[in-house]
Amino acid sequence: MSLGGKVALVTGGGRGIGRAIALKLASQGADIIVDFFRHRESAEQTAKDIKALGVKAEVIRANVGEPAKVDEMFDMISNKFGRLDILINNAASGVGRPVMDVDVKAWEWTMDINAKACLLCAQRAAKLMEGRGGKIVSISSLGSPFVLPNYAIVGVSKAALEALTRYLAIELAPKDICVNAVAASAVETEALKFYFKEGLVKDNRQVTPAGRMVIPEDVANVVAFLCSEEAFMIRGQTIIVDGGTSVGLFTLVGKES
Amino acid sequence: MTVEEQVREIVAKITHVDKSIITRESTFKDIKADSLDIVQALVAVEETFGIEIPDEDAQKFKNFGDFVSYVENRVAQEEKV
Repeated sequence: MSLGGKVALVTGGGRGIGRAIALKLASQGADIIVDFFRHRESAEQTAKDIKALGVKAEVIRANVGEPAKVDEMFDMISNKFGRLDILINNAASGVGRPVMDVDVKAWEWTMDINAKACLLCAQRAAKLMEGRGGKIVSISSLGSPFVLPNYAIVGVSKAALEALTRYLAIELAPKDICVNAVAASAVETEALKFYFKEGLVKDNRQVTPAGRMVIPEDVANVVAFLCSEEAFMIRGQTIIVDGGTSVGLFTLVGKES
Repeated sequence: MTVEEQVREIVAKITHVDKSIITRESTFKDIKADSLDIVQALVAVEETFGIEIPDEDAQKFKNFGDFVSYVENRVAQEEKV
């Protein structure tokens, strides 16, 4: 298996996209550390499913928005595994509000978990990867390059994540660490629900040229590729997984719904 | 301070409401707590009492009284252990 003997940390790895990534990397032989914050049951279930694939799984609770918890998590990884080969910055949270309703509390909460955590985790992870190479992949969304309804803070946090990805990719390249991001569109996005609600579209296929919704496994497949040696020359990029939605946007203008 | 008083103080501080208006019957909606307030209150209570409150459990709280009862039970369990 291509990731046999590797150790991967997936933040927010208990549910949704994180769970799909954790299972995908596990299916390729990696031992997985599943970080969670609010849903222990899901994280334990994911760990169970990972173990069923014949690799090790460890569950750890940490709000990655808190620097002290990030430190505790990496201390555990350091003590227990003594290494880290893959970091997936997937944990995310956010407060859905129009820009004018954003307050400091909502801003800090969202930025801490979606952006600051990526920096802190990458800094600690890079030290554990140093000398042996490593992969860091962060999960973004189309709310960074595009405007989605009530998505301002999350969009800004994802823009920070993508910029950080570029800086990390260059500065960690001498340490043989590959850094990239994956941005997904309609994996349970509020945007699509909004479009449906507003009657702008009636059928997923109208906004997704590929003909169906993006599912977590679509994102996990790309993440797994970026964690492979085949992706060695891809650095600092944000790969969009949206079935063509973003490049096809203008084909929707004036279309009968 | 009792568990109830401590939880009330935490919730009042996070939601910026006077603690005298938080009764056991108060819902989060009554005290205008949004989802972020609720998560932050849960985390603060977890840290104060050294317990873990999974969202799966928290989603069952209908009012402040349910929240307090849950914390009281968990604290009692912890003390037994």
